[in-house]
Amino acid sequence: MTKEDYISNLRRALHTLPEADIADISQDFEEHFAIGLSQGKTEHEISAELGDPALVAATYFDEGLEDIGHTMKESAAHAAAAAAAASSASSAAKSYSGAPAASGSPAAYAGNGTQQVVSTQKDLTGARLFVILLNILLTWWVAIAILSTLFSFWCISISLLVAGISAFAALAAASGEWAAVLVLSGVAGILLAVATGILNFFLSKWTVIGTKAYIKWNKKLYNEGF
Amino acid sequence: MNVQFKKGVLDLCVLSMLKESDQYGYELANTLSEIIQISDGTVYPILRKLATDGMVTTYLQESQSGPSRKYYRLTGLGKKTLVSLQQEWLTFSRSVNQIVGGDAT
Repeated sequence: MTKEDYISNLRRALHTLPEADIADISQDFEEHFAIGLSQGKTEHEISAELGDPALVAATYFDEGLEDIGHTMKESAAHAAAAAAAASSASSAAKSYSGAPAASGSPAAYAGNGTQQVVSTQKDLTGARLFVILLNILLTWWVAIAILSTLFSFWCISISLLVAGISAFAALAAASGEWAAVLVLSGVAGILLAVATGILNFFLSKWTVIGTKAYIKWNKKLYNEGF
Repeated sequence: MNVQFKKGVLDLCVLSMLKESDQYGYELANTLSEIIQISDGTVYPILRKLATDGMVTTYLQESQSGPSRKYYRLTGLGKKTLVSLQQEWLTFSRSVNQIVGGDAT
């Protein structure tokens, strides 16, 4: 069978699927042919290795693909609506095993799917409790400590800057040796302010990065469990 | 080899093969068909199902020889599922071996 024949046979056997899915699937087989050809195989050899297009198409239906979009929407809606983890687990499990049963595919996969869904749901309760307790008992205080440290560091920088500038401002009223002292302390103040400012900038940046990572970790733990 | 045997473990095989590195469909199909004698075309429905179930994601990558390839990568969910499927398989195959095992001779 030529590549063209193979893909058109496949498309014909898949015709009940949405056109977007058929196009996507055809693309996978186009790619398979292209790679096979680039490795020196003939279209007929590749077709033979791929197996009967009608059987391949049947495998798509066997895997319950025509129901999956529906199933996922349904369980997502359930998950959103159901506050209790248990009820969402059971409905997700129901729609999971419903899909393959409708198309008569092996129950083995449905079994795995169900187990997976249920165990994820069970894990979540512990993980969510952990996230909530962690934030109430620990994170809160750590955050206050870090933020107040950062705040006081910035205060130091700003007061150094103010001191430096006011040294220059006082220059008008000073004379002789005092003027030299004021200039020196002014320059020193401003330089120190800039140096500590740069340090603080990076400390703040790392705090933001760390906070983001922490929030992401919390979200992941909360939504996906341990 | 018995078709029903293969059907049950294909997901596990594909997920396991993606554990070490991302692979493209042709590569997966070739390896699988060599090892457990399935037809190459069977791999694509499985990959598609794994993608729809959120076990794998796909991305296109150019190749030096030939057309660009659709690569498959395990997601977090895929890795988790792989671990539990692996355990199930090991337990199951051990149990079956106890019944079928070499002692019968």
